[in-house]
Amino acid sequence: MHRGAAGEWGPVSLFDALFGAFAIPFMARALLVMLVLAVVAGTVGVLVNLRGLEFISDGLTHAVFPGLAIGLAIGGTAGLLPGAAIAALAGAVILTWLDRAGVTSDAAIAILLTAAFSVGVIVVSRGDDYAGELETLLFGRVLTIPPEEVLPLVAVTVVAALAVVVTLKQQLFRAFDRSGSLAAGDSALVLDLVLNAAVALVVVAAASTIGTLLVLALLIVPGAAARLITRRMWWLFPAAAAFAAVAAWLGLAAGFAGSVAGGVDLPAGSMIVAVFIAGYAVVLTVRWFRDRVAAATGAVQ
Amino acid sequence: MTDSPVLRLEGAAFTYRGGAGVRGLDLSIRSGEAVALIGPNGAGKSTLLKGVLGLVPLTAGSIEVGGARATAAAAASAQTTDAATDPAREAHARDRMIGYLPQSIHVDPDFPINLEQVVMQGRYRRLGLLRWPGRKDRAVVRRALETVGLADLAERRFGELSGGQRQRGLLARALAGEPRLLLLDEPFNGLDQANRDALIDTLHTLKRQGVAVLVSTHDLELARLVCDSVVLVNGNQLASGPVDDVLTLGNVQECFEGVEVEVDEHTLVVPGHEGH
Repeated sequence: MHRGAAGEWGPVSLFDALFGAFAIPFMARALLVMLVLAVVAGTVGVLVNLRGLEFISDGLTHAVFPGLAIGLAIGGTAGLLPGAAIAALAGAVILTWLDRAGVTSDAAIAILLTAAFSVGVIVVSRGDDYAGELETLLFGRVLTIPPEEVLPLVAVTVVAALAVVVTLKQQLFRAFDRSGSLAAGDSALVLDLVLNAAVALVVVAAASTIGTLLVLALLIVPGAAARLITRRMWWLFPAAAAFAAVAAWLGLAAGFAGSVAGGVDLPAGSMIVAVFIAGYAVVLTVRWFRDRVAAATGAVQ
Repeated sequence: MTDSPVLRLEGAAFTYRGGAGVRGLDLSIRSGEAVALIGPNGAGKSTLLKGVLGLVPLTAGSIEVGGARATAAAAASAQTTDAATDPAREAHARDRMIGYLPQSIHVDPDFPINLEQVVMQGRYRRLGLLRWPGRKDRAVVRRALETVGLADLAERRFGELSGGQRQRGLLARALAGEPRLLLLDEPFNGLDQANRDALIDTLHTLKRQGVAVLVSTHDLELARLVCDSVVLVNGNQLASGPVDDVLTLGNVQECFEGVEVEVDEHTLVVPGHEGH
């Protein structure tokens, strides 16, 4: 949050909002973490989209919450990342196991996940600053990332990226043709665990920055936008990564401009997600027009 | 070409955890040979093919792929000291040597993948996790597409292809792994005459190149035109041998258990089956 900043810098030009703002250390840290996170979340999100793993991703955002809460209770803000990482990886293993055991009931998974969420809320409620801590966990603290947390956050994100890049060919094969991938000797268990763990790590990093409630946008929107931008398989990944990176940058800039020039205290995490959604709307509109033009051209011919 | 069989089953049984399966299998296929697997629906033809692929457990007898042998007894025990019956070695040979064409695959027609990329999936086993396709892989994929007559459609999105073209595309994927043994599960189902003729030509070419073929089918014409021998199965193996010796009216009636069948030079008429 960027409380109390209004008025300190006075009116802000477009150039300052887009570039100058990031000379300020806390904005630079936010941009660095968000750019790395956006590129990786976009890349992982393409696989989430192709595999139809939106529900599991949603599940992981809930599973992470008690981990964040317990981490905060034990170690303060320094305990957030380890707590979230442990909870997310445990959640990835449990969800992979449920999927393999044939538990496809949305009800069963939903019960498990809301249970996890309520445990988190109970843990947080034991603390002294209940409302403040809950707000931090739900909506993140992208503008108040301490310098010593930048490296761990980037490291968690890069591990997620490596897990996906190393198995990328096989993940796409499994997404396209499950039984063909099995017949070719690929291990469904290993591939699912790796992908779910990668999603979990992205959720961990995103939960610490834009909060658990908004994480899903980072994972889902760039992949969905990339599907609208291109129909070429290998272009999906750069398209999603570029979309996410630009949207994260513009979101931070818009939040800064609103807070400083407009005097409106805009939560940075929410602004980022709003720009993601606006970007998706733009891509959807362009695609709609392109399809209509293509259909009209085809009809004329 | 070698004299030792590419695939040999001896007293083999493949059984799902629930107990269903196929047993009593004795067959061997040499390089350049094609064997037809014939039986009614539910006879265990697909189970046999999946058993050879290692997707259904071997519960009796032995399997030998490219000289690497595994036995049900060795597979049941946690480890084996007998190098001649090493399941891990057999699994390695299996992964590298076998190409598989499933009966059908359910694809999302909007999945953003083109035919060439689908065929390249056949190379992934050889590439492993870290290596990416190179010039040689692209050349093999191109050749596989030419073999099935779809080189012109390489850039076409897979979901836009007709059913017959998809089937041939998946055959190209199986060929891209440069298999010594090709397993085809009902490859002629739903094919029109043009795709059917193209597939028969392709199979002849592959046999000449020394590929061993095991094909499950209801199509007697395919068995006669392409295959050297036939195996009749219905839960277990009923008969095997040269096409004309095995496909007698008596054998086929026994195999299809009282279902009314007619057998003549080209036709196997089995009510309720998609045969010809």
